[in-house]
Amino acid sequence: MTTLPPTELTRLDALAAIHHAFPSEPVVIALGTMVREMLLVAGRQPNHLHVLDAMGLVPAITLGVAMSPNGAAHARVVGIEGDGGLLMGLSSIATIGATRPENLVLIVLDNGAYAATGGQRTASPHLDLAGMARACGFQTHDIRTAAGLAVAMLDAKVRPGPWLLRVAIGPKNQAAPYFLPDPVELAIDFRRYLQVPVERRANDESAST
Amino acid sequence: MPPLTTALGIDSREVVARRADEVTRAIDHIRPTHVLWIPSSTLKSVIDSIEVRAREGTWISMPITREEEGIGIASGLTLGGAKPLLVIQDNGIGNCLTALTTFPQPYHLPIVMLVSQRGGLNEYNSMIHTLGERVEDILDAADIRTFLLDERVPVERWATSIVGAWEHAEMTHRPVAVLLNLLY
Repeated sequence: MTTLPPTELTRLDALAAIHHAFPSEPVVIALGTMVREMLLVAGRQPNHLHVLDAMGLVPAITLGVAMSPNGAAHARVVGIEGDGGLLMGLSSIATIGATRPENLVLIVLDNGAYAATGGQRTASPHLDLAGMARACGFQTHDIRTAAGLAVAMLDAKVRPGPWLLRVAIGPKNQAAPYFLPDPVELAIDFRRYLQVPVERRANDESAST
Repeated sequence: MPPLTTALGIDSREVVARRADEVTRAIDHIRPTHVLWIPSSTLKSVIDSIEVRAREGTWISMPITREEEGIGIASGLTLGGAKPLLVIQDNGIGNCLTALTTFPQPYHLPIVMLVSQRGGLNEYNSMIHTLGERVEDILDAADIRTFLLDERVPVERWATSIVGAWEHAEMTHRPVAVLLNLLY
Protein backbone atom coordinates (compact mmCIF):
# COMPACT_ATOMS: atom_id res chain seq x y z
CA MET A 1 0.00 0.00 0.00
CA THR A 2 1.22 3.47 -0.82
CA THR A 3 1.68 5.62 2.24
CA LEU A 4 2.15 9.35 2.54
CA PRO A 5 5.72 10.57 3.19
CA PRO A 6 6.43 11.58 6.79
CA THR A 7 5.17 14.94 7.95
CA GLU A 8 5.89 16.87 11.11
CA LEU A 9 2.42 18.43 11.26
CA THR A 10 -0.69 17.31 13.08
CA ARG A 11 -4.14 18.56 12.14
CA LEU A 12 -4.22 20.61 15.34
CA ASP A 13 -0.88 22.30 14.46
CA ALA A 14 -2.08 23.10 10.95
CA LEU A 15 -5.41 24.51 12.14
CA ALA A 16 -3.71 26.70 14.75
CA ALA A 17 -1.35 28.05 12.08
CA ILE A 18 -4.23 28.71 9.69
CA HIS A 19 -6.17 30.60 12.35
CA HIS A 20 -3.04 32.62 13.16
CA ALA A 21 -2.47 33.47 9.47
CA PHE A 22 -6.12 34.23 8.67
CA PRO A 23 -7.59 35.68 11.89
CA SER A 24 -10.13 37.94 10.19
CA GLU A 25 -10.58 36.49 6.70
CA PRO A 26 -13.76 34.45 6.11
CA VAL A 27 -12.91 30.76 6.65
CA VAL A 28 -15.18 27.88 5.56
CA ILE A 29 -14.39 24.72 7.57
CA ALA A 30 -15.26 21.16 6.57
CA LEU A 31 -17.17 18.78 8.80
CA GLY A 32 -15.94 16.40 11.44
CA THR A 33 -12.47 16.58 12.88
CA MET A 34 -11.64 19.85 11.14
CA VAL A 35 -14.58 21.72 12.66
CA ARG A 36 -14.07 20.16 16.08
CA GLU A 37 -10.31 20.62 16.29
CA MET A 38 -10.57 24.21 14.99
CA LEU A 39 -12.96 24.88 17.88
CA LEU A 40 -10.34 23.45 20.24
CA VAL A 41 -7.57 25.74 18.99
CA ALA A 42 -9.55 28.87 18.15
CA GLY A 43 -12.95 28.60 19.84
CA ARG A 44 -16.01 29.94 18.10
CA GLN A 45 -14.80 32.71 15.78
CA PRO A 46 -17.09 35.14 13.94
CA ASN A 47 -15.15 34.72 10.68
CA HIS A 48 -15.58 30.93 10.69
CA LEU A 49 -18.37 29.09 8.89
CA HIS A 50 -18.69 25.58 10.28
CA VAL A 51 -20.04 23.19 7.66
CA LEU A 52 -21.48 20.49 9.91
CA ASP A 53 -22.26 17.99 7.16
CA ALA A 54 -22.38 18.38 3.33
CA MET A 55 -19.13 16.47 2.80
CA GLY A 56 -17.29 17.54 -0.34
CA LEU A 57 -19.07 20.88 -0.60
CA VAL A 58 -16.48 23.18 1.03
CA PRO A 59 -14.62 24.07 -2.22
CA ALA A 60 -17.93 25.00 -3.91
CA ILE A 61 -19.21 26.97 -0.90
CA THR A 62 -15.87 28.80 -0.68
CA LEU A 63 -16.09 29.67 -4.38
CA GLY A 64 -19.58 31.08 -3.88
CA VAL A 65 -18.47 33.17 -0.91
CA ALA A 66 -15.35 34.40 -2.77
CA MET A 67 -17.46 35.51 -5.75
CA SER A 68 -20.26 37.12 -3.72
CA PRO A 69 -20.43 40.91 -3.29
CA ASN A 70 -19.73 40.78 0.46
CA GLY A 71 -17.17 37.98 0.16
CA ALA A 72 -15.29 39.73 -2.64
CA ALA A 73 -14.81 42.70 -0.29
CA HIS A 74 -12.44 40.47 1.70
CA ALA A 75 -8.91 40.19 0.35
CA ARG A 76 -8.93 36.44 0.93
CA VAL A 77 -11.62 33.82 1.47
CA VAL A 78 -10.30 30.54 2.87
CA GLY A 79 -11.70 27.01 2.66
CA ILE A 80 -10.36 24.18 4.81
CA GLU A 81 -11.06 20.75 3.36
CA GLY A 82 -9.76 17.22 3.90
CA ASP A 83 -8.41 14.90 1.23
CA GLY A 84 -11.56 12.76 1.39
CA GLY A 85 -13.78 15.82 1.01
CA LEU A 86 -11.72 17.23 -1.85
CA LEU A 87 -11.92 13.93 -3.72
CA MET A 88 -15.67 13.78 -3.15
CA GLY A 89 -16.18 17.25 -4.63
CA LEU A 90 -13.22 17.11 -7.00
CA SER A 91 -15.05 18.57 -9.98
CA SER A 92 -15.28 21.86 -8.06
CA ILE A 93 -11.58 22.51 -8.70
CA ALA A 94 -12.40 22.55 -12.43
CA THR A 95 -15.07 25.19 -11.88
CA ILE A 96 -12.85 27.21 -9.53
CA GLY A 97 -10.03 27.00 -12.09
CA ALA A 98 -12.34 28.18 -14.87
CA THR A 99 -13.66 31.02 -12.68
CA ARG A 100 -10.22 32.08 -11.35
CA PRO A 101 -11.22 33.92 -8.16
CA GLU A 102 -7.98 35.58 -7.11
CA ASN A 103 -9.08 35.82 -3.46
CA LEU A 104 -9.75 32.09 -2.96
CA VAL A 105 -7.42 29.96 -0.83
CA LEU A 106 -8.27 26.28 -0.46
CA ILE A 107 -6.23 24.50 2.20
CA VAL A 108 -6.36 20.71 2.02
CA LEU A 109 -5.35 18.86 5.17
CA ASP A 110 -4.25 15.55 3.72
CA ASN A 111 -3.85 12.54 6.02
CA GLY A 112 -4.81 9.95 3.41
CA ALA A 113 -7.72 8.87 5.57
CA TYR A 114 -11.35 9.45 6.47
CA ALA A 115 -10.68 10.64 10.00
CA ALA A 116 -14.26 11.05 11.21
CA THR A 117 -15.30 7.49 10.40
CA GLY A 118 -12.38 5.56 11.84
CA GLY A 119 -9.38 6.34 9.65
CA GLN A 120 -10.22 4.27 6.58
CA ARG A 121 -7.89 4.99 3.65
CA THR A 122 -8.61 7.44 0.82
CA ALA A 123 -7.11 7.42 -2.67
CA SER A 124 -4.98 10.46 -1.91
CA PRO A 125 -1.61 8.65 -1.34
CA HIS A 126 -1.76 7.59 -4.99
CA LEU A 127 -2.53 11.07 -6.28
CA ASP A 128 -0.92 14.43 -6.82
CA LEU A 129 -3.64 16.69 -5.42
CA ALA A 130 -1.61 19.87 -5.94
CA GLY A 131 -0.75 18.78 -9.48
CA MET A 132 -4.44 18.28 -10.29
CA ALA A 133 -5.18 21.76 -8.97
CA ARG A 134 -2.31 23.26 -11.00
CA ALA A 135 -3.73 21.66 -14.12
CA CYS A 136 -6.97 23.51 -13.35
CA GLY A 137 -5.22 26.86 -13.04
CA PHE A 138 -4.50 27.05 -9.30
CA GLN A 139 -1.31 28.33 -7.71
CA THR A 140 -0.19 25.62 -5.31
CA HIS A 141 2.19 24.62 -2.56
CA ASP A 142 2.89 21.11 -1.25
CA ILE A 143 3.62 21.40 2.46
CA ARG A 144 4.83 19.06 5.20
CA THR A 145 6.45 21.36 7.77
CA ALA A 146 5.26 24.15 10.04
CA ALA A 147 7.73 26.57 8.47
CA GLY A 148 6.59 25.54 5.00
CA LEU A 149 2.96 26.14 5.92
CA ALA A 150 3.71 29.62 7.29
CA VAL A 151 5.62 30.62 4.15
CA ALA A 152 2.96 29.15 1.85
CA MET A 153 0.13 31.02 3.59
CA LEU A 154 2.10 34.27 3.39
CA ASP A 155 2.60 33.66 -0.33
CA ALA A 156 -1.11 32.95 -0.75
CA LYS A 157 -1.90 36.25 0.97
CA VAL A 158 0.29 38.41 -1.24
CA ARG A 159 0.11 36.79 -4.68
CA PRO A 160 -3.22 36.37 -6.49
CA GLY A 161 -4.90 32.95 -6.52
CA PRO A 162 -6.85 30.82 -6.71
CA TRP A 163 -4.61 28.89 -4.34
CA LEU A 164 -4.56 25.28 -3.25
CA LEU A 165 -2.26 24.49 -0.34
CA ARG A 166 -1.91 20.78 0.17
CA VAL A 167 -0.77 20.18 3.74
CA ALA A 168 0.37 16.67 4.66
CA ILE A 169 -0.71 15.96 8.23
CA GLY A 170 -0.18 12.97 10.47
CA PRO A 171 -2.91 10.49 11.37
CA LYS A 172 -3.43 11.75 14.92
CA ASN A 173 -6.88 13.02 15.89
CA GLN A 174 -7.35 15.17 18.97
CA ALA A 175 -10.21 14.22 21.23
CA ALA A 176 -12.75 17.02 20.87
CA PRO A 177 -16.34 17.38 21.98
CA TYR A 178 -19.23 17.30 19.54
CA PHE A 179 -20.37 20.66 18.19
CA LEU A 180 -24.15 20.61 17.90
CA PRO A 181 -25.46 24.14 17.36
CA ASP A 182 -28.50 25.16 15.36
CA PRO A 183 -26.99 25.61 11.86
CA VAL A 184 -29.29 28.59 11.24
CA GLU A 185 -27.34 30.48 13.88
CA LEU A 186 -24.06 29.65 12.11
CA ALA A 187 -25.40 30.92 8.79
CA ILE A 188 -26.74 34.16 10.26
CA ASP A 189 -23.48 34.89 12.11
CA PHE A 190 -21.34 34.23 9.04
CA ARG A 191 -23.61 36.27 6.77
CA ARG A 192 -23.31 39.22 9.18
CA TYR A 193 -19.56 38.81 9.38
CA LEU A 194 -19.23 38.94 5.60
CA GLN A 195 -21.02 42.30 5.61
CA VAL A 196 -18.47 43.88 7.95
CA PRO A 197 -15.99 45.31 5.42
CA VAL A 198 -18.85 46.49 3.20
CA GLU A 199 -20.40 48.43 6.08
CA ARG A 200 -17.01 49.75 7.15
CA ARG A 201 -16.32 50.93 3.59
CA ALA A 202 -19.71 52.66 3.41
CA ASN A 203 -19.00 54.42 6.70
CA ASP A 204 -15.56 55.49 5.49
CA GLU A 205 -17.07 56.91 2.32
CA SER A 206 -19.76 58.83 4.17
CA ALA A 207 -17.17 60.16 6.62
CA SER A 208 -14.98 61.46 3.82
CA THR A 209 -17.76 63.37 2.04
CA MET B 1 -40.13 11.02 -34.28
CA PRO B 2 -42.63 13.79 -33.50
CA PRO B 3 -45.18 13.02 -30.79
CA LEU B 4 -48.51 11.70 -32.04
CA THR B 5 -50.15 14.85 -30.65
CA THR B 6 -48.71 16.68 -33.67
CA ALA B 7 -51.28 14.82 -35.77
CA LEU B 8 -53.99 16.32 -33.56
CA GLY B 9 -52.97 19.82 -34.59
CA ILE B 10 -50.69 20.61 -31.65
CA ASP B 11 -47.26 21.87 -32.65
CA SER B 12 -45.18 20.76 -29.69
CA ARG B 13 -42.21 22.83 -30.81
CA GLU B 14 -44.31 25.95 -30.65
CA VAL B 15 -45.61 25.01 -27.19
CA VAL B 16 -42.07 24.41 -25.92
CA ALA B 17 -40.84 27.69 -27.42
CA ARG B 18 -43.67 29.70 -25.90
CA ARG B 19 -43.13 28.23 -22.43
CA ALA B 20 -39.36 28.70 -22.68
CA ASP B 21 -39.94 32.36 -23.57
CA GLU B 22 -41.95 32.76 -20.38
CA VAL B 23 -39.12 31.19 -18.36
CA THR B 24 -36.72 33.69 -19.93
CA ARG B 25 -39.13 36.53 -19.18
CA ALA B 26 -39.30 35.46 -15.53
CA ILE B 27 -35.50 35.30 -15.19
CA ASP B 28 -35.17 38.74 -16.77
CA HIS B 29 -37.69 40.06 -14.25
CA ILE B 30 -36.03 38.38 -11.25
CA ARG B 31 -32.61 39.62 -12.39
CA PRO B 32 -30.44 37.27 -10.34
CA THR B 33 -26.81 38.27 -9.75
CA HIS B 34 -25.51 34.87 -10.87
CA VAL B 35 -27.03 32.11 -12.98
CA LEU B 36 -25.48 28.66 -12.51
CA TRP B 37 -26.59 26.11 -15.06
CA ILE B 38 -26.39 22.64 -16.48
CA PRO B 39 -28.20 22.77 -19.82
CA SER B 40 -31.16 20.77 -21.03
CA SER B 41 -32.57 20.48 -24.53
CA THR B 42 -35.96 21.92 -23.61
CA LEU B 43 -34.33 24.96 -21.98
CA LYS B 44 -31.79 25.59 -24.75
CA SER B 45 -33.22 28.99 -25.66
CA VAL B 46 -33.32 29.92 -21.96
CA ILE B 47 -29.62 29.13 -21.51
CA ASP B 48 -28.82 31.01 -24.75
CA SER B 49 -30.61 34.07 -23.39
CA ILE B 50 -28.82 33.74 -20.02
CA GLU B 51 -25.49 33.78 -21.85
CA VAL B 52 -26.47 36.80 -23.97
CA ARG B 53 -27.53 38.75 -20.88
CA ALA B 54 -24.27 37.81 -19.17
CA ARG B 55 -22.30 39.25 -22.10
CA GLU B 56 -24.36 42.43 -21.73
CA GLY B 57 -23.30 42.58 -18.07
CA THR B 58 -26.74 41.88 -16.58
CA TRP B 59 -25.48 39.01 -14.43
CA ILE B 60 -22.71 36.45 -14.18
CA SER B 61 -23.46 33.20 -16.00
CA MET B 62 -21.47 30.07 -15.30
CA PRO B 63 -21.69 26.41 -16.24
CA ILE B 64 -21.32 24.03 -13.32
CA THR B 65 -20.04 20.47 -13.46
CA ARG B 66 -22.56 18.80 -11.16
CA GLU B 67 -25.79 19.83 -9.47
CA GLU B 68 -24.45 19.55 -5.91
CA GLU B 69 -21.57 21.81 -6.85
CA GLY B 70 -24.19 24.34 -7.95
CA ILE B 71 -25.93 24.02 -4.59
CA GLY B 72 -22.62 24.70 -2.82
CA ILE B 73 -21.72 27.70 -4.98
CA ALA B 74 -25.23 29.14 -4.74
CA SER B 75 -25.17 28.71 -0.96
CA GLY B 76 -21.86 30.55 -0.66
CA LEU B 77 -23.12 33.30 -2.94
CA THR B 78 -26.27 33.68 -0.84
CA LEU B 79 -24.25 33.94 2.38
CA GLY B 80 -22.27 36.73 0.74
CA GLY B 81 -25.28 38.79 -0.29
CA ALA B 82 -25.73 37.61 -3.89
CA LYS B 83 -29.00 36.40 -5.46
CA PRO B 84 -28.11 33.30 -7.45
CA LEU B 85 -30.39 31.17 -9.62
CA LEU B 86 -29.79 27.54 -10.54
CA VAL B 87 -31.02 26.03 -13.81
CA ILE B 88 -30.72 22.24 -13.92
CA GLN B 89 -32.40 19.05 -15.17
CA ASP B 90 -34.59 16.71 -13.16
CA ASN B 91 -32.09 13.94 -14.00
CA GLY B 92 -29.64 15.74 -11.72
CA ILE B 93 -31.91 16.03 -8.69
CA GLY B 94 -30.54 12.75 -7.38
CA ASN B 95 -27.04 14.25 -7.54
CA CYS B 96 -27.89 17.14 -5.27
CA LEU B 97 -30.37 15.79 -2.69
CA THR B 98 -27.66 15.31 -0.06
CA ALA B 99 -26.20 18.76 -0.68
CA LEU B 100 -29.65 20.34 -0.47
CA THR B 101 -30.69 18.58 2.71
CA THR B 102 -27.37 19.00 4.52
CA PHE B 103 -26.57 22.62 3.70
CA PRO B 104 -29.06 25.21 2.39
CA GLN B 105 -32.07 23.50 3.95
CA PRO B 106 -30.78 23.21 7.56
CA TYR B 107 -28.86 26.52 7.29
CA HIS B 108 -32.02 28.25 5.94
CA LEU B 109 -30.64 29.59 2.68
CA PRO B 110 -33.09 30.57 -0.09
CA ILE B 111 -31.77 28.74 -3.16
CA VAL B 112 -34.05 28.72 -6.20
CA MET B 113 -33.73 25.91 -8.73
CA LEU B 114 -35.47 25.94 -12.09
CA VAL B 115 -35.60 22.25 -12.95
CA SER B 116 -36.56 21.11 -16.43
CA GLN B 117 -38.80 18.09 -16.02
CA ARG B 118 -39.17 15.28 -18.51
CA GLY B 119 -41.13 12.09 -18.60
CA GLY B 120 -44.84 11.44 -18.74
CA LEU B 121 -47.17 12.41 -21.55
CA ASN B 122 -45.52 13.67 -24.76
CA GLU B 123 -42.11 12.39 -23.68
CA TYR B 124 -40.19 10.97 -26.67
CA ASN B 125 -37.18 9.49 -24.84
CA SER B 126 -37.95 6.15 -23.20
CA MET B 127 -34.99 6.45 -20.80
CA ILE B 128 -36.29 9.56 -19.11
CA HIS B 129 -39.56 8.44 -17.53
CA THR B 130 -38.19 6.51 -14.58
CA LEU B 131 -36.68 9.40 -12.64
CA GLY B 132 -38.51 12.30 -14.26
CA GLU B 133 -41.97 11.13 -13.27
CA ARG B 134 -40.91 10.68 -9.65
CA VAL B 135 -38.96 13.89 -9.14
CA GLU B 136 -41.83 15.73 -7.50
CA ASP B 137 -42.33 12.88 -5.01
CA ILE B 138 -38.60 12.72 -4.31
CA LEU B 139 -38.39 16.45 -3.60
CA ASP B 140 -41.53 16.24 -1.50
CA ALA B 141 -40.05 13.42 0.57
CA ALA B 142 -36.96 15.59 1.08
CA ASP B 143 -39.22 18.40 2.25
CA ILE B 144 -38.08 20.72 -0.55
CA ARG B 145 -40.95 23.04 -1.50
CA THR B 146 -41.76 22.41 -5.13
CA PHE B 147 -43.95 24.20 -7.65
CA LEU B 148 -44.94 22.37 -10.82
CA LEU B 149 -45.52 24.10 -14.15
CA ASP B 150 -46.95 22.09 -17.02
CA GLU B 151 -49.94 22.37 -19.30
CA ARG B 152 -52.27 22.54 -16.32
CA VAL B 153 -50.87 26.01 -15.63
CA PRO B 154 -51.80 28.48 -18.40
CA VAL B 155 -48.65 29.67 -20.13
CA GLU B 156 -49.61 33.24 -19.25
CA ARG B 157 -49.06 32.30 -15.60
CA TRP B 158 -45.64 30.67 -16.00
CA ALA B 159 -43.59 33.82 -15.53
CA THR B 160 -45.59 35.03 -12.54
CA SER B 161 -45.37 31.57 -10.95
CA ILE B 162 -41.58 31.51 -11.31
CA VAL B 163 -41.29 35.01 -9.86
CA GLY B 164 -43.63 33.91 -7.08
CA ALA B 165 -41.42 30.90 -6.34
CA TRP B 166 -38.41 33.21 -6.11
CA GLU B 167 -40.26 35.37 -3.58
CA HIS B 168 -41.41 32.25 -1.73
CA ALA B 169 -37.80 31.12 -1.25
CA GLU B 170 -36.83 34.53 0.13
CA MET B 171 -39.87 34.66 2.39
CA THR B 172 -39.43 31.14 3.78
CA HIS B 173 -35.58 31.20 3.85
CA ARG B 174 -35.55 27.77 2.24
CA PRO B 175 -34.53 26.15 -1.04
CA VAL B 176 -37.36 26.03 -3.60
CA ALA B 177 -37.62 23.99 -6.80
CA VAL B 178 -39.75 24.91 -9.80
CA LEU B 179 -40.36 21.92 -12.04
CA LEU B 180 -40.75 23.04 -15.64
CA ASN B 181 -42.34 20.43 -17.89
CA LEU B 182 -42.22 22.07 -21.29
CA LEU B 183 -43.41 18.98 -23.16
CA TYR B 184 -46.60 18.29 -21.24
